[in-house]
Amino acid sequence: MNNDQIPPRLKLWIFIWTPFIWLLLELLLFPKDRPVSSGLANVMGGFVDKRIACYPGWTLWLAAAALIVIGGLGLRARKKSPRMQVIILAMGILAFIWGFAQMGFTQFALGGRGSSYSWLFQTVFVVLAAVLVWSWGAANGERAELMVWNTRETWRIYRANWQGIVGLAILVFFAAMALLAPFLVNHAWLSPNASVTPSAFAPPSFHNYLLWFGSDEQGLSVFAEFVWSSRISLFVGILATIITTVVGAGAGIFTGYYAGWIGEFGMRITDVFLVLPWLPFAMVLAAAWGQNYAIIILIIAFTSWAGTARLVRAQVLSVKEEPFVERARAIGSGDAHIMRKHILPNVMPLIFANAVLTVAIAVFSETTLSFLGLGDPLNFSWGTMLEHVFDTGATEIPTATAYLFAPGLAVVLIVLAFNLIGTAFDEVIDPKLRKREQSTGASRLPSATAAPDPAPD
Amino acid sequence: MDKRRYFTKKVLNTLLTIILVACFNFMLFRILPGNPARLLLPKGHFTAKALAQQKKVFHLDRPLWEQFGYYWVDTVEGHFGDSYAQKEPVTQVVGRAIVPTLVLVGTGTLFATIIGIIVGVFAGWRRNSTFDITATNLGMILYSMPTFWVSMLFILYFSVKLGWFPSGRMMEVGVTYTSFISKAGAFLRHLFLPAFSFAITYAAEYELIMRSSIISVMKEDFTLTARAKGASDTRVLWSHVAPNAMLPSVTLVMMNFGFILSGAILVETVFNWPGLGLLSYTSMLQRDYPVMQAVFLLASVAVILCNLVADVMYYYLDPRVKA
Repeated sequence: MNNDQIPPRLKLWIFIWTPFIWLLLELLLFPKDRPVSSGLANVMGGFVDKRIACYPGWTLWLAAAALIVIGGLGLRARKKSPRMQVIILAMGILAFIWGFAQMGFTQFALGGRGSSYSWLFQTVFVVLAAVLVWSWGAANGERAELMVWNTRETWRIYRANWQGIVGLAILVFFAAMALLAPFLVNHAWLSPNASVTPSAFAPPSFHNYLLWFGSDEQGLSVFAEFVWSSRISLFVGILATIITTVVGAGAGIFTGYYAGWIGEFGMRITDVFLVLPWLPFAMVLAAAWGQNYAIIILIIAFTSWAGTARLVRAQVLSVKEEPFVERARAIGSGDAHIMRKHILPNVMPLIFANAVLTVAIAVFSETTLSFLGLGDPLNFSWGTMLEHVFDTGATEIPTATAYLFAPGLAVVLIVLAFNLIGTAFDEVIDPKLRKREQSTGASRLPSATAAPDPAPD
Repeated sequence: MDKRRYFTKKVLNTLLTIILVACFNFMLFRILPGNPARLLLPKGHFTAKALAQQKKVFHLDRPLWEQFGYYWVDTVEGHFGDSYAQKEPVTQVVGRAIVPTLVLVGTGTLFATIIGIIVGVFAGWRRNSTFDITATNLGMILYSMPTFWVSMLFILYFSVKLGWFPSGRMMEVGVTYTSFISKAGAFLRHLFLPAFSFAITYAAEYELIMRSSIISVMKEDFTLTARAKGASDTRVLWSHVAPNAMLPSVTLVMMNFGFILSGAILVETVFNWPGLGLLSYTSMLQRDYPVMQAVFLLASVAVILCNLVADVMYYYLDPRVKA
């Protein structure tokens, strides 16, 4: 491996981020085999099994299949140095064995129970991923350097925006709360029998941390609900955003690139989704399809992809007139290649900035739908808590003020955080929005996040 | 593009979108799980005869393409069936709810537009002043607030703690008013809180849009020209900058007005206001599909028509479109 080609900063990043990502994975998979009725694990596991908080076995096998296919296709293409493909293939095979080691399909719990060597699998997997990034850097030295430079420059401009930093701080706070929830409050306090006070709507008290926000209509700890809700709210928001962005960006690139009658027809469909009043629409769908988070996620994605599609399409229409697209077409690149290697990298910053703003919308939508009683009745999210506040008439009970304030304030802060981050990213992308140019001598690109060079053919 | 072609194109587009939305409405209520005829009947209590009759009323005994034809005839003639929760024709149930919603949303939009545009103009004009920084950050925070939460906070403070305003409904139950003025006063007292909590998020949105469009218009050449001519600050602001910056806000106000129902559902649910929003909420809880179908169609058409109005207004307000 030619290590000299890797930018030193990328090496540093790999050393810093690998243990961090390992830790993140460990926290994400924490609830293990505890029989809980809530939490991230159940949201995922709830797709197949509602009884136990474990990730279904097929998630790992799905990942394994995807990795094996990507690696195999890469090997078939007969690259000169197939090291990266081999590593991807190895990761796929590892994930496959890992799946087996976890007692098969339904009993699967990442990080626990199934096999006591799970931590080993997890560690090897993360290390392999790090090696993959390393070998990518070694094979594509120049592009790696450009990426490192772009990332640093983006961060430099971003951090000049104090609002963006405030947003990031709020987000880190709530993300930490979501990830550390099992260590903050035992999940058992969410059980309907686990009342902390004999009376309903006890006022907040600072002697017992469970009573920081008082108790709810059943005497349950509002603080416990509040902490565990952050998992659902963030998870639903982020997953809905991923689906929205993938679908919306795909539709936008497609209709923008094929601007003929296909694109026109696609645009009509997008228009219909744009004018559908989203809340009544979501209510109809939720009423018909049932109440769980998988459905909520789909509904949010279904009602909000059109905005992304329209935005991306406008950008694609201008990008595809650029000379490099014509050049690529002249030397015989196919449509799929042009879309993937020339158009997509150029609209990527826009897609990313839009995705951040979409998270705000998605969290907002989840809260709204849950407030209207369309959320999963067995779980707690901030919207569900507000629904309980409203339904039990706690709005008019003076001791329940914290019960009303805590979840609402959390939603406001999270939505505000994503809005601030999104606005800050808009500023990074569009130099015209910046307050003043901070010029730093040697500049290799016209603007920091100007689109990356089109890929060499 | 001349005026006639522009309008013809817009109107045709609108008609096409309405037709597509109506088709979508047809499909949406037929992909619902289960037999639509059973869904259209109350759960549990129905006989085979009622089911057959219901099927006949909605032409569900016909093939799908004939159903589609009947759907169009029914929609154009305004037959949406009977609401089974209220045992009345859907058109009556919906018709009763339209005016309260229009009053609520109209008042709210008026509040929002006036507050948002005025604050936005001054914030953009004195960019980076204390007023601007306060207004913009406050706007960002208010913009992030869920409407229903704001409504609940208002109920907590203004009606429970202070007792200034009633906490719900359009009128006091069981009270007869002696004169028209006392009746109107009671109505306005009931209207204030819902309209205001409806207005807050929108006001913040308009403020942010107005501010950024003022800032971008101030960079245009004609502003400089106006200044060079020696026009006073007030004149530059109110006769050159503000009218040109008004465009995006006006279209946004119009388009938001189309989404009337999405905002109204939350406010009306919290304040128990007997409009379309509360109607769609209760009909969802009761699975009152005929009402839901009609409300959904009405809401979509409102959005489309408001978009058309926004386009038309854009034509008259923006000199550049005419060119």
